[in-house]
Amino acid sequence: MALGLRIYVVVFFAYLFLPLLVMAAATFNDSRFPTVTPWNGTTLKWFGELAADSRMWQALTNSAIVAIGVLCLAVPIGIATALFLNTVQSRAKPFLYALILSPLLTPGVIIGISTLIFWRQLGVGGGIFLTVLGQATFIAAYVMLMVTARLQRFDRTMERAALDLGASQWQMFRRILLPYLKPAILSAAVIAFLQSFENYNTSLFVVGYDTTLTVYIASKVRTGLTPAVNALGLILILVTVLLAVAYEVKRRREAVRVVSV
Amino acid sequence: MEDGSVRLEKVVMRFGDFTAIDTTTLEIGSGEFFSFLGPSGCGKTTLLNMISGFLVPSEGRVLIGGEPMGGVSVNRRPTAMIFQNLALFPLMTVFENIEFGLEVRGVDRKARREASERLLALVALEGSGPKRISELSGGQKQRVAIARALAVEPRVLLLDEPLSALDLKLRQHMRAELKAIQRKTGITFIYITHDQGEALTMSDRVAVMSAGRIQQVADPVTLYRSPATGFVAAFVGENNRLETTLIERQGERVRLDGCALGELAGRVAATSGLHRGDRAALYIRPEHLRPVDEGESGPTLAATLEAVHFEGAWVVLEARLEASGELLRVQLGHEISRQYTDTLVAGRRMIFGYDPDDAVVLPEDGGPRVDEATGEVVEAGDV
Amino acid sequence: MFRQLAARFGGPLAMAILGLLGIWLIVMVTLPQLQMIDYSLRPNLLPAQRGGPEDGWTLTNYTTLFANDIHRAIFFKTLWSSVLVTLLTLGVSYPLAWYLAKVATPRQAALCILLLIIPFWINEILRTYSWFIILAFRGPLNEVLMMLGLIDRPIRFLSGDAGVMVGMVYAYILFMVFPVYNAIESLDDNQVRAARDLGAGTVRTHRRIVIPHAKPGIATGCIMTFMLAAGSYAVPALLGSPGSRWFTQIIYNWFFEGGNWNQGAAYAFLLLVLCIGFMSLVMKVFKVGLGDFAK
Repeated sequence: MALGLRIYVVVFFAYLFLPLLVMAAATFNDSRFPTVTPWNGTTLKWFGELAADSRMWQALTNSAIVAIGVLCLAVPIGIATALFLNTVQSRAKPFLYALILSPLLTPGVIIGISTLIFWRQLGVGGGIFLTVLGQATFIAAYVMLMVTARLQRFDRTMERAALDLGASQWQMFRRILLPYLKPAILSAAVIAFLQSFENYNTSLFVVGYDTTLTVYIASKVRTGLTPAVNALGLILILVTVLLAVAYEVKRRREAVRVVSV
Repeated sequence: MEDGSVRLEKVVMRFGDFTAIDTTTLEIGSGEFFSFLGPSGCGKTTLLNMISGFLVPSEGRVLIGGEPMGGVSVNRRPTAMIFQNLALFPLMTVFENIEFGLEVRGVDRKARREASERLLALVALEGSGPKRISELSGGQKQRVAIARALAVEPRVLLLDEPLSALDLKLRQHMRAELKAIQRKTGITFIYITHDQGEALTMSDRVAVMSAGRIQQVADPVTLYRSPATGFVAAFVGENNRLETTLIERQGERVRLDGCALGELAGRVAATSGLHRGDRAALYIRPEHLRPVDEGESGPTLAATLEAVHFEGAWVVLEARLEASGELLRVQLGHEISRQYTDTLVAGRRMIFGYDPDDAVVLPEDGGPRVDEATGEVVEAGDV
Repeated sequence: MFRQLAARFGGPLAMAILGLLGIWLIVMVTLPQLQMIDYSLRPNLLPAQRGGPEDGWTLTNYTTLFANDIHRAIFFKTLWSSVLVTLLTLGVSYPLAWYLAKVATPRQAALCILLLIIPFWINEILRTYSWFIILAFRGPLNEVLMMLGLIDRPIRFLSGDAGVMVGMVYAYILFMVFPVYNAIESLDDNQVRAARDLGAGTVRTHRRIVIPHAKPGIATGCIMTFMLAAGSYAVPALLGSPGSRWFTQIIYNWFFEGGNWNQGAAYAFLLLVLCIGFMSLVMKVFKVGLGDFAK
């Protein structure tokens, strides 16, 4: 039984990683079409082709702008919501909580569609602005969950101590609560950035002509498919893996520090 | 020295239907070491929170240094609190913790550092300033908490069972230290505890609380010698309680009818309203009972030994009263118990006597009892 | 609510908190959804006709679905396929979640979790695209199968629903593994040992002890996976063929090819109703509340 489970785990991770390896390998195949079979010789030319693709660069820029916008909107909203839920006792709270979680349980396409329809009524069409709004709608809920998780472990006598020592409520927030929440907020910011960067379903409906990187890749896959897409994918994978590992290492170090406290 | 007196005027605290503090009036002098002593849930923390400003009384008012505190928020009161869990800021260094109160008041860096160095010296932690809180021991954290609270130069320092997390040795050491710091600074200390040892050793005066009411306010000796209510008699130290009827009163001396126990005697407060024929409770402390010979003059109690507990400096006896079947606790000092070596065994019949001056008589209030099984004080209304 | 916030954070901060929350819940969450429903209940009119006699609430956009055989078939196909994807994902994830929570050493578990997170951080399009390469007619999977002699001719994986399913299970597996893992992890090891001790076999231990305990996690995972599957656009668009369209693709077409937003809004709302319905059903069957999701 235990052996069976172990084999299963190995197969599982093979299933998880083989596709990514195949995609990475296809980048270096000198073939017009992205594949690893047959292998026509190794080449780096698709990186060059990718670098020369000005629309890709434009899409990348758009994605970065959107992600920063989402960060600036979703992180404050998420923090505010977490503080709200942690503070307020009210009979309306279960209802509000359901409303707060609803963007997580709504398909991304529907968030995109409703955002598009609502803002068209106000004369705003699809584009970077709507993409930021649409994505932030559900990313804020993720931020809320992450901040709440840490906030729930906060010892509120710290707050009382700060006030008792003469701090104003704002000083208490700035000097005590915010530093305490900082690790969760930073994690949430990283997650928010990545979620935004890789979002497709919501963006699809609200990008208008300001194509983001994922929308661009999807359109490439369906139309002019070349291994340049793989080159782009490989670079993105490497960057994300590096970020993920760095983030994990940092998180672990913090965990160690917290445990040793 | 600024006026650090605290006055509670007819304060009441209600949470919904529950009355946490019943109408209470109290004056605490400037520079006094004052303790609130009581079991958990008696309202002592609520009182502290009203003084510090975390709670606003439902009725009545709080004055500090003669100034009414109504409308004065926590962060503007001349008080500082030491919390039960200390509530040190874990992300800051010792310096930063101590200087926090000065920093938020806009004191400049240099003056802050001078103040924190001086306070670290006061609590004997020189050189620990740059340390993180996590690097400190329990006792050191305690000292940092004291220094942090003193840094804001409060007129009143409020201490919410700050020693409860420490082990016994350290706790006893910190008692002496707290008392010394209080003398040195001259600040009013208001101390909350359920540990009578802490309250009696450190305080100038103690208020014993029960069920939202102050039962007695007195210096430790008076509290111990002359408890004003049955609750105080049972809660502070140990007491044997016997139900009697008053036969005769001569000033503070009374003769009592102990029914099956025969005639007993004791002392009442001069102000006591007890009269002949009233039901009365007689309280005799275990250490005031001593073995006597049969036929000795004065009140005596005959009992059969049930258990003998050797506790080092003294011996505690549990004896069943022959006449009433009640359990009597007797504590014999080293001197006396030595005379009875080897003969203090269960089943032995003994007669105990006491000095009537040591036995306090209070009106029968159906009052508190010590639960025989748990040793806890059970209040009249609790059962 | 303002009073409680102001008591803790002071007036300005309380105002900021309520302001941000209000903007989010009202302007970004509620009003757009209401607007979408309103849209779905109105006929598709030229700008000149708006507010005219033909403008009014109607259910026409909803009846379209039932009048159109193809759309109806796709709607139900999406429903069943999403249920199937959810079950498959649960089946694949459960053993791994069990392994991570109770079998692996802490070091192994930490490594596995890191390995699990990495593909999750790579975007859905790329993950799906990698399957597009593998499943291609002349792709490596067909090559390998032919080399092993299992098939004579390459299979068109990308022309039916199978490719879409494989891609979806792959894309959403983490949303199942993590909730189930978290739930199993909180199970007391002694309960499992006690069950074993009392002679319960592996299957019975899981059925009677582990699965009942992990119910909230399983429910969360199923709801998330179903929602993602039913609402997926990328996977069917990349791995499907015109013959295996997904409901989201129909919605997209109403918006950007048919130019009938009202019709599209109605279909979008139906999709939302489908997800809410599935969620309510799962919550009822597993007897869990909304509070269990935040875990």
